[in-house]
Parts: sequence; C-alpha cells; structure tokens
Amino acid sequence: MRILVAAVALTLPLTALAQDREPILSDAVEGHILPGFASLAETTGVLAQTAQTDCTQTSPELRGAYHAAFDDWISVSHLRFGPSEVNDRAFALAFWPDTKGFTPKALSSLIATEDAAVESPEGFAETSVAGRGFFALEQMLYEPNFADQGSATYRCALIQAITTDIVSNARAINADWGGYSTALTQPGDDSPYRSDDEAMQELYKALVTGLEFTGDTRLGRPMGTFDRPRPNRAEARRSERALRHVELSLTALRDLAARLSADHPKIAADLDSAFDKAIIRAQSLDDPVLAGVATPQGRLRVEALQQAINDIRAIASAELGPTLGISAGFNSLDGD
Amino acid sequence: MPSRRHFLAGLAATSLSPIQSWAAVGSPDYLAAALFPDGSYRLAGLDTGGNILFSIPLPARGHAAAAHPHRAQAVAFARRPGTFAVVIDCATGTEVTRLNAPHGRHFYGHGVFSPDGTRLFTTENDYDSGDGVIGVWNTDSYTRIGEFPSSGIGPHDMRLMPDGQTLVIANGGIETHPETGRTKLNLPTMQPQLTYLDLSGTVLEQMELPRALHKNSIRHLAVRHDGLVAFAMQWQGDKVHHPPLLGLHRRGEAPRLLSAPDAAQSTLQGYAGSVAFAGDETTVAITCPRGNALHRFDVANGQLNGDFPLEDVCGLGSGPKGFVFTTGTGIVGELTSTPRISARPDCHWDNHLIPIRKPA
Repeated sequence: MRILVAAVALTLPLTALAQDREPILSDAVEGHILPGFASLAETTGVLAQTAQTDCTQTSPELRGAYHAAFDDWISVSHLRFGPSEVNDRAFALAFWPDTKGFTPKALSSLIATEDAAVESPEGFAETSVAGRGFFALEQMLYEPNFADQGSATYRCALIQAITTDIVSNARAINADWGGYSTALTQPGDDSPYRSDDEAMQELYKALVTGLEFTGDTRLGRPMGTFDRPRPNRAEARRSERALRHVELSLTALRDLAARLSADHPKIAADLDSAFDKAIIRAQSLDDPVLAGVATPQGRLRVEALQQAINDIRAIASAELGPTLGISAGFNSLDGD
Repeated sequence: MPSRRHFLAGLAATSLSPIQSWAAVGSPDYLAAALFPDGSYRLAGLDTGGNILFSIPLPARGHAAAAHPHRAQAVAFARRPGTFAVVIDCATGTEVTRLNAPHGRHFYGHGVFSPDGTRLFTTENDYDSGDGVIGVWNTDSYTRIGEFPSSGIGPHDMRLMPDGQTLVIANGGIETHPETGRTKLNLPTMQPQLTYLDLSGTVLEQMELPRALHKNSIRHLAVRHDGLVAFAMQWQGDKVHHPPLLGLHRRGEAPRLLSAPDAAQSTLQGYAGSVAFAGDETTVAITCPRGNALHRFDVANGQLNGDFPLEDVCGLGSGPKGFVFTTGTGIVGELTSTPRISARPDCHWDNHLIPIRKPA
C-alpha cells in the first residue's frame, strides 16, 4: 500500500527529465565492460595453461602470465555489480585488503594439512576466498616464506588449483555478462534496473567507488599516517605492482568516465583533464611499490597523487552525478 | 523564539544550581544534530511539535547523541570516525567537557547512559586490531573508568534493555580504519551480530543472521518496553538483491525479518537509516534516505502497513501518537495515519532523532 500525501509528495526531488540513455548504456557495455571481461577470461586461461606446464615459483613464463592476467583484473575491478558479485566471485579473484593476514594463514593451513581440496576445482572453490585468487597466487610466486613450505609437489598442485579457480571465476563472470548486458541496456520489468536512470546510476557508482578505492585504499593504506607510514601494506608489493594498479585503474576509470559523460562535452573535458593530471602524477612517481611513503619527500608526492584523485571525485559528484539524477541529500550521501 | 526564552531561563537558573533538569530547558522531547544556514553544526532540543527549544554549536558534523536520564546534559558524538564527543550543559548552552577516545580508538557515533545516569557507555573501534570496544565513563567528571569488548566488529548503535541491566549492541560487522577513510575492509568475511551484554561486559546472547545475509550490516536499534528489539540494516552486497532491512528479535528466539513487497523494497537501495517503535508500540518503522521513503510495519503480523515518500528522511523517534521524523531538507514531521509537517526550520537535520527519557 502506497499512501500518497499531496503535501509530502511535493517534497520529493525533481527527477531529471527522462532521457534516452540507451546509446550511452550500450556504448559502456560494448566498449568498456564486455571487452574487459573477455580479455580477463583469455589471459586467465593462458595463466592456468602456463601453470599446468610450469609451476615452479620463479618461472618467468608463469610470472609473466600472472602479470598479464592481473593487469586485466585490475582494469575491470571497479565493475563490482551483477556477474562479479555472484558467489563472491570478485572477492575470490582478489582478496585485498587483507587486514588480518588471512591469505598467508589460509595457504599455510592448506599446505600444512596437504588439503585434498586442490585435487578438484569444485573442492577448491569451497575453500576460503582468502586462499584463492591473484593475491594468494602472488604469495605462492613471490613470498620467500612459501618457497619451501611443505613439499614441492603440493605447492605445485596448489598453484595449479589457484590458477584453475581464477580462470573458472573469470569465465563465469564473462559468460554471465552475455545475459546481464541486456539487463543493463534494456531496463524494465525483466531487469534489476527499472529505468535507464537506474542503470546509469549503477555505472556512475562503479566510477566513484572505483576512484574512492584507488585513492583511499590503494594509496591510503600504505600512506598510513605521517608518523607511522605503512609501506608494507602496499597492494601486491611482493610482485611490485602497487603503483601499476593505481595507473591501470585510473586508465580504466577514465575510459568509463568519458563514456558516461558523452552527452555533456564540458563535463567530459573537465573529467578528462583531471584524469590526465592524476595519471601523469602516477607515472612520474617511478616507485612501483610506493616505498616513498616512508620518507617525507616521497610522501608528499603520493599525497599529491591522492589529491589529484580526490579532484576527479569532486568533479564526478559535482558535475556528472547531477546529470544522472543522483540524490545528493544530506543524509542519503552520508551513509552511516 | 522559544529557544531564546528557554535559553535565558536556563542561564538564570544556572546561577542557583550547577546542574539543571530537562524541565529547565523547556522539557525537550528529542535531541537532533543539524547543519544550520550559517554553516554551523549544532545540537538542538526539539519538542514533538518541531519547535527548537535550544541549539548549541558543535565543533564538527554530528551523528547521534545520548541524553542524560535526568540532568539536562547531552553527549553529542562526532560523525564516524570522530575521536571526540562533547558533553553539553543544555541549560547554559556550554560545553561541560570533551570525551577523547583513547589512543588507537575512535567513536562510532552512538552511546547510552546507565539508568541512574552515573555511567556512560560508548561504541568504539580499536582500529589496529579491528575489534569493537565499549568504553565506560563516569558522569561526574566524564573520565574513563573502564572498557570491555563489544564481542564483534564495528559496534554502531547501542541501547539499554528495559531491565536496565543489559546492553544490546548492533555489531555491524564492517571493519574500517581511519587511514582508509570509510573504505570497508572486510566485506567478504563480515558477520554482523546483535549482541546482548550485561553492564560489566559479559556476553549474554549473540544473534547472527543466516549466512546468505552476512553482508546485511546491523546498524541501528530500537527497544520496546517488553524487550522486543528492532534492528535496521544496511545491505553491503550486490544491489540486484533487495533483502529485508528491518528485523525484530526477542532474546532466546530466532529473528523475524520484515520487508516490503519487492517492487517497493527494490527502491530503498539497500539502506535503512533509523528505526523506531510507534508511541503505542503496535507498529515499527524504518527511514530510508536513499529511497526517500519511510516504511511502517505492523509488529504483530510483520506486514508493511504504510509506505510514505519523504525526501531524505532519516531521523525517527516514537511520538505521542505515532512517530516523529526529521529530514535532511529541514522537515520535522509527525506520522500518525499519514505524515504531517509540523515545522520546517531552515536547517538540514542529521541522521538521528534521540528521544529524551521522561521521568516515570
């Protein structure tokens, strides 16, 4: 029962005039989402294949395949809705940040008990998300503590199980996007999105939460505080990927932002120049593991990068959000 | 302006006695924080008609407050992850003192007084370990006298049960760290709980939701006179799911989860802001600022019996005839059979409306 009260109904926000969002939605799906997940399915396939041939910790081929597949994941890691959230697939691909050290604990426990879960993909998919995905694989390939834990045979089986699980999740997400792309581009009764605006808002949310994660978490965690920087908390520092993740995510988010603002050339230009500044700052850091956070000089430079990302966020919420009917209420934005 | 009259009355009375009762400040029914047009954040005392009886500046954006059971004193908590709370003498409009969270802690924005008013309990984050803590403060000097674990992660709202001997705590389950802002650090493993503790911290009972709902953060609470607890939730999972955002729990029993039909539930964006029982306690409601709606349910049968569109509605409390609500657009309203606007001062009401306990 929906009781409408005239006086109260008047206080509802003015919704943006109905617009045809279909071209933008289709473009975001066809040009941004589908190619990203297709590429991830392919490179994770190569990764699993490579691990079958050579599972030694230091294998250059295996490490190369790991980097290529991880690059593709980071480039879609902001698309946290729909297929990536089914059965916690995204978390199973990338369990980070790991504030309690669950990943090394889960791996040590598998190794110590020679857990037979590695023998079947179904069995391994039942194990903790912390011991699966790219961050578990990184520990196995780069962490000296895992170079000689347990037997070489078991470590090999574990690496193969992790890579098989990665490709299976990547392929499942990619396959589900076949149907989900229709849900996103054709909102209505058969879709989780009732209107074009709701579908646009999902993509906008992916953009702003992606920026927030890169600024606050990818940079914020190693930055810690001025008195207590935490360089060991940098993302994927063992394989020297921390800064690379910032660059890859900014590049992917810039692509999404350009597509979402296609109808508003001025906003598109503002966003593009803000992304440009942030990406240039990231590239000029020349500090793959963000170790600079531990020195006053280096920290200033990382802070400047974080500020550049915050500037993009400010443009997105002040300029792009309102064009998509995003509620900017005092409480709805606060979230607590 | 009643605020000025009562404020002056309060000042006059102060010279006679150092600590005033709530009557000295016009007997407000609620406390609420707001952003005022001059850009200041203030804590206001409101009556059910929406009149602002007093307002006192806060150092930063507020979240919720706790009202002393008889002294005209309020503790206003900063927005998470604030590290201070301000004790305010509502009669004089002055700051009595500040509570500073111990090193390595921040407040979550909620707290509650013991029934006799001698102690204050605060929900806190021990952020390096990620463990929830309940701080205990004496209220003579507002110094810290102890603490105990909240027995969960991310304790947010906390209420006193009708027996006066039991705390019920919404352990929301989400780990955050001030260094990463409000980024949620443990979504895949989060497990919210409703926890009952005695006043010394002994766990009496813990209620967990079914595994499929482990990403439904239990955040805000209301307690009925017979001990029925209503809890409001915030869904952290995929927005294509529209799980219930309101639950009812009685100790020793399984929770009952209440939801609108999916067409209405799907508009809420998985977010409930506040929860309260109506004055007659036969209905319970949640406010949904992201869905711009207030949903009211029949307690006995658990059915939705009112879905009211209200822009940016969040503050909610029991009213004499139903509910009193506040919105980010400045409205103070009453909901009986339908919502009615009582007042609309030029301010933005913040998340919560805190009832002041009336002497029995």
